[in-house]
Amino acid sequence: MNKWFKSGAPWIWMTAGAVSISLVAVVGLLILIAVRGLSYFWPSEVYEFDLSIVGQQTTVIGEIYDKELVPLQRLQESGADVSGLDGEFVERLLLKTGNREYVDLDFRWITENQILSQKVPENIAVLERRTNGNFYGYIEAVVIDGEQLKSRDDHQQVFDSIRRSNDLIDEADSLQKSEIGSVNYRLERIRLKQRKLELEHALTTDMISDFDAQREVLHQEYLVYEKSLFALRDQAARDSLIVRDMRGELVTIPLNNILDIHFPNEMGVIAKSGHWLHQIYKFVSSEPREANTEGGVFPAIFGTVFMVMLMAVIVTPLGVVAAIYLHEYAANNSFTKLIRIAVINLAGVPSIVYGVFGLGFFVYMMGGSIDQLFYPESLPSPTFGSPGVIWSALTLAILTLPVVIVSTEEGLSRIPSSVREGSLALGATKAETLWRIVIPMASPAIMTGLILAVARAAGEVAPLMLVGVVKLAPTLPLDGNFPFIHLERKFMHLGFHIYDVGFQSPNVEAARPLVYATSFLLVTVIVGLNLAAIQIRNKLREKYKTLEQ
Amino acid sequence: MISLAAEKSNNKVLDLQNLSQEDTALEVQNLNLFYGSKQALFDVSMKIPKGKVTAFIGPSGCGKSTLLRCINRMNDLVDICKVSGKILLHGENIYDKSVDVAALRRNVGMVFQRPNPFPKTIYENVVYGLRLQGVNDRRSLDEAVERSLRGAALWDEVKDRLNDNAFGLSGGQQQRVVIARAIAIEPEVLLLDEPTSALDPISTLTIEELINDLKDRYTVVIVTHNMQQAARVSDQTAFMYMGDMVEYSDTNTLFTTPAKKQTEDYITGRYG
Repeated sequence: MNKWFKSGAPWIWMTAGAVSISLVAVVGLLILIAVRGLSYFWPSEVYEFDLSIVGQQTTVIGEIYDKELVPLQRLQESGADVSGLDGEFVERLLLKTGNREYVDLDFRWITENQILSQKVPENIAVLERRTNGNFYGYIEAVVIDGEQLKSRDDHQQVFDSIRRSNDLIDEADSLQKSEIGSVNYRLERIRLKQRKLELEHALTTDMISDFDAQREVLHQEYLVYEKSLFALRDQAARDSLIVRDMRGELVTIPLNNILDIHFPNEMGVIAKSGHWLHQIYKFVSSEPREANTEGGVFPAIFGTVFMVMLMAVIVTPLGVVAAIYLHEYAANNSFTKLIRIAVINLAGVPSIVYGVFGLGFFVYMMGGSIDQLFYPESLPSPTFGSPGVIWSALTLAILTLPVVIVSTEEGLSRIPSSVREGSLALGATKAETLWRIVIPMASPAIMTGLILAVARAAGEVAPLMLVGVVKLAPTLPLDGNFPFIHLERKFMHLGFHIYDVGFQSPNVEAARPLVYATSFLLVTVIVGLNLAAIQIRNKLREKYKTLEQ
Repeated sequence: MISLAAEKSNNKVLDLQNLSQEDTALEVQNLNLFYGSKQALFDVSMKIPKGKVTAFIGPSGCGKSTLLRCINRMNDLVDICKVSGKILLHGENIYDKSVDVAALRRNVGMVFQRPNPFPKTIYENVVYGLRLQGVNDRRSLDEAVERSLRGAALWDEVKDRLNDNAFGLSGGQQQRVVIARAIAIEPEVLLLDEPTSALDPISTLTIEELINDLKDRYTVVIVTHNMQQAARVSDQTAFMYMGDMVEYSDTNTLFTTPAKKQTEDYITGRYG
């Protein structure tokens, strides 16, 4: 035994064990959120249950959402009907029944003693609706232009009419977003221009009439768009579906409320996989609906990536320049050491503190001053004086600055002095040596700093809640209206989205898989950003590899 | 016998001391150097003749490299280093406040102990000094590369792969790239700080032959701890010990009939 200890084997086992624990933890976490998140999009089978609840017979249609074992005693104490149940634990099922406006709850628990029979009917349809969540039922008929067409076996007609209404709605949405949005934007600019002249006391009656004329032109333009918008919407609302729900009643659902329809019980594995990929694509590419509990997360992905990139653009030059001064120019005395310790300790300051600092300094002080100086015409409503993506990026840049400074300094100190001397001996000044030799050779280390900064910044939520993130941003920070990049706008963020959906949502059960899916997406985005940066770093390393390797 | 040899070598030393102005490349006058409170050079004076190879020999830590690095002011990089005395180049003291250090270093090139090519292509390594001077004309750069690499006896080996990274070359080739880099800007004086100590015997031989060629165009000052090398390549040799210039004379004289007992002990291998 003693010999075994002396051989060093236990040490190897211990270190290898630590590595495996970390590995298992990371891989396990990824697999958990991936499975939980991605299975949400899988079209699971829809069951029809005949239930007997306290003697009354009802039919329930729904997906099995969750299963759990509960102690019988707990059910008894909660006053549930436990007749016919025995054993210590009872299995109960969570059903997602949808049809939110027709039943009290769109989720319900059932226990096995309540189930009289269960089946998987072929022709159950799952309707994904724009409002009120999913609807489960049997398609009875399609109403096209007032004419009722029986449609029980051939779904093609249903698919076609839904596609038609969706195309119309997409057209209406894009009209509203781009054309009408642009008219509104121009109207706002005219208002601001007029207000600016007014503040400068340069407004003449000629100008006012000129502005009014411009406004009139835009208003006419708007009326034209509005007309075609309404026409499109009317067109989309023309048709409807008649569906029999689980109560046996016929419900008419206008097609403009239906996003998608599928018949999960009729689908094979290939059709399900196709549907699954399509659902994931929709989740990634569309905008959220219903207080973020449904729809996609595209604005959040965009906001996260945009903010992180903006931060990287700010933090890299700042950190590199600071590190160069500290390492190359500052005298090597106790004051420099103090600064270095302070910089390293900055990394340990809780991020919410940076958030408060960002709100006070960037948003109110800097943003407020910018508004006073450059945007007096839109006051009292703030332009830069309210939280926005630029202030978030700046706050996170300060937060991640120590990381960049430390790793850049490390990179600078790793460069062999012989190379610096070689450059100086050829008549280069210190600055020339820095630019031509030292900084290029330190660039892999700078990239390492940037990778760490990006990883930290992309996952940070707390400070952002104070300086720019919102639950729902109406517009992206990038659009087609001049000047195209709107740094003052608020934005959505995947991290905040997780918090909002998971913990601020009225419908906890519906939100849970979205939390997993969004978490998985956030991890994917961060890993993606990091992989891109690592790729660049490896290229640089290859280019500037020195003798030491 | 010994006293006779000493007399003979004294004549030579006198020769070096009374070198005429046009034959002198560099003149060191009463140079003292301190690292903090520790004195590393004690009142060194010497004249280095133009167009010759001068070697500094001596045991480790004797100050030979320090003296060499004084000549192009590389010691400025050491914060705690203080220098008093003069080094004259063209009759001007290079430690004068008005001297542009970068310009001085363009005139006094240096090659270090270990090959230190930049992480760039062979071509870019050689033209580095020229680009610093603002030369960007492709044709004159091409010419300079060929001339310098030929001067460093490397052209035939690398002419087909000028755009490869210099780190792909062998140690001896790298050292010659560094020499080519130094002579590309056509300095007057070339300082070599133990240029072959990190190289294998064959590369060493190539570099030594190269040094022999270089002295036609440049004044070469070489530090070496290899006495055979000093004997092979140099015209004058200075023996240093503990920061003192013990003996400075014609190489043949120094190695065959040293004037000082210390020199004799060192070259016969009794210490060092």
